[in-house]
Amino acid sequence: MKGAQFLVKALEHEGVDVIFGYPGGAIMPVYDALIDSRIRHVLVRHEQAAALAADGYSRASGKVGVCMATSGPGATNLVTGIANAYMDSIPMVAITGQVPSNLMGTDAFQEVDIFGITLPVVKHSFIVNSSKDLARIVHEAFRIARSGRPGPVLIDLPKDIANTVSDYSIHHSDASEAAPAPRPEAIAQATALLKASIRPVIYAGGGVGLANAIDDFRDFVAATRIPVVATLKGLGVIPAKHELFLGMMGMHGMKAANHAVQNSDLLICIGARFDDRATGRLNAFAPHAKVIHLDVDPAEVGKLRHVDAAVLGDLKQSLKALSFALPIDDWRRDCITTKESTAWDYNAPGSEIYAPAFLRQLSERAGDNSIVACDVGQHQMWVAQHFRVNRPSQHLSSGGLGTMGYGLPAAIGAQFACPDATVINVSGDGSIMMNLQELATLRRYELPIKVVLIDNHALGMVRQWQELFHDRRYSEVDLSDNPDFTKVAESMGVPAFRVEHRSDVPAAIERLVTEPGPALAHVLIHQEANVWPIVGPGKSNSEMMDEVSS
Amino acid sequence: MSTFTLQIRVAQTDGSLERILSVTRRRRFELVQLSVTAADDGASFDVELTARAERPALALVRQLEKLEDVAEVTVADGAAELAGARAS
Repeated sequence: MKGAQFLVKALEHEGVDVIFGYPGGAIMPVYDALIDSRIRHVLVRHEQAAALAADGYSRASGKVGVCMATSGPGATNLVTGIANAYMDSIPMVAITGQVPSNLMGTDAFQEVDIFGITLPVVKHSFIVNSSKDLARIVHEAFRIARSGRPGPVLIDLPKDIANTVSDYSIHHSDASEAAPAPRPEAIAQATALLKASIRPVIYAGGGVGLANAIDDFRDFVAATRIPVVATLKGLGVIPAKHELFLGMMGMHGMKAANHAVQNSDLLICIGARFDDRATGRLNAFAPHAKVIHLDVDPAEVGKLRHVDAAVLGDLKQSLKALSFALPIDDWRRDCITTKESTAWDYNAPGSEIYAPAFLRQLSERAGDNSIVACDVGQHQMWVAQHFRVNRPSQHLSSGGLGTMGYGLPAAIGAQFACPDATVINVSGDGSIMMNLQELATLRRYELPIKVVLIDNHALGMVRQWQELFHDRRYSEVDLSDNPDFTKVAESMGVPAFRVEHRSDVPAAIERLVTEPGPALAHVLIHQEANVWPIVGPGKSNSEMMDEVSS
Repeated sequence: MSTFTLQIRVAQTDGSLERILSVTRRRRFELVQLSVTAADDGASFDVELTARAERPALALVRQLEKLEDVAEVTVADGAAELAGARAS
C-alpha cells in the first residue's frame, strides 16, 4: 500500500467523512487514493475556503474538520483558515502536500516552508520524514486537535512519502484524553466566593460548547439562578429567550449585559479569556468584582485579569460541584428589570430596511433548526445582537481572528455537517467579495444555503469608526461601485433577488427560506447605518455610546 | 521588569526549538540568553533560557508547558516569584 492510500485509510479510521480541499501537484497521490475511499471530498474554489469550511464543519458537528491542499500557494492559501481555527480553538487537521524529500530545501517548484509559516497558528504540526512515522502522526494529529483546548494541527506530507509502498498499519492508542478533575481546594475556594457574593454574574465563552458542557452549564444556571452574559462565541450556551440571559457583553454588547458585569461583585468566567472586545478598557472592567475562572487551559488563568479562584480541568465536573442555590433574589430582579427596560426597539423610523429587525424576523422564521454563519463587520454584530441563538453550534462567527470571508465557506462546512439544517450565511458587501467564488460550490453540490447579503455600499464597520472616532475622515471605505450581486450569483447558478424596501421584508424572507436550493437575497440598507451600542476605543464598558449620545 | 531563567526538557523533533523561541517572542518576552544541549536520553534537548519582561514569568511558563514537545519546564532563577502562583 502506498503512503497516500494508507493516509486515506487512517483518516477513515479516525472517523473522517468529509474533506474540504483543492488538488495540485504535490498532493496528487492522496487525491488518487481518495477515488477509492468512502470519504467525500468537497472541491472548493480557493484553498482558504477549504480551511474555513473545515472550521464551519467542525463548529456545526463537534467533530474534527479536515482540509487539504497542495504545496506552495495551495498551502499558504490555507493559512488564514488555520489561524482562524487557532484563535477560536477549533479542532482541525490540515494536510498539505510537500515537494519530494530530496527537493526540500532547494527552492523547488511550489516549495514553501508551510511547517515554519504556520508554527505560530497551529496547536502542533508534523513533517512526515519517514513512511514509518505516518501512522503515528495521523493518529497523534487527531488526538492533539481534539484534546484539552482544541486547535488546528498541520501534517506536511512530502510527495515521495505519499508514494512509498510499505506495510502500513493503523496506529492504535487510547485516543481519549480526558481533562483532569478540578482540585477540591479550588472548588472550595469558588464555593466560598459564590456564597459570599450578592451580585454574581456568569460570563460564558466558547469554551462551554467546546467542552461539550452545555447541559451541565444549563443545570448550573438552573441551580444557582445567576444572571448570564455571553461572549460572541458563547452565544447559545443558554437559550436566547431564557429569562436569566442578559445578552452579549462587550464592545457591541447589550446594555443589560454590560451593566450587570460592571456592577457585579463576582464574575464567574467560564471558558472565556477576557478578550479585549469583551472587556473594553481592562482596568475598568467589572471593577468591583472578584473572579472565579473555570477553564481547561491554565495559560488563560490570570493572563489578563487577576483571578481569585482558578478552577482548572473538566468543566462538567466543575459545574456540577458548584451547582447550588444562592440567595440573590434582589440582584436577579434588578438584572431582569434592566434587561426589560433596555430591550431593543425594532420599530425604527423610516421606510428603509432596518437590519436588526430584518435579522430578528429572519431568525424567527428560520427557527431552531437553523445555523447562521456570519462574515465580519457590522452585519456580524447585528447577527450576534438580534439572531436568536439557542446553542453554540447554531452560530458560526469568526471571533478571535475576525476573518472577512469566513461566512460562506463556514456555511458550506455546516451544511455538510448538518444536511437537514437551514443554513444561512449573513454577509456584507465587503466580506462577500473575499470568498465570492464559493457561490459556485453551492451550485456544484446543490447546497440549499441561503445567503443574506446586507449591502450598505461601504466597508461599514470601518466607515462607522471613521465617522465616530476619526472626525468623519473617510478613507477607502466606499464600495459604491459594487458589482450587481444578483447577476453575479445568477451567473454561478444561484437564484438571487433584491430587497430594497422595508415593506418587502416579510415576503423576501419567506421566499428565501422556502427556496428549495441555494438562494441569495441582496438586501439594501442605508450607507450610514451604524451598530449600536458601541464602546469606543480605550473606553470602559460603562461608557457605551448609543445613537442618541453620539 | 523581571529576569528569570527556565530549564526546559523538549523532544528533538522538527521545530521544537523554534516553537520555544517563537512563543517567547510572541508573548513579548525578551530573550537574554539561551543554551541548548542534547540530553542523555538521546531523544531530548535540555534548554536553558533566560528572559526578561514586564509580564510575569508564569505567563511564559504556562505557554511553554502547552507545547506538545515540551516535557518539563522548571524555574532555575526567579522561583520565589513563581512558587505561590504555580500552586494554583
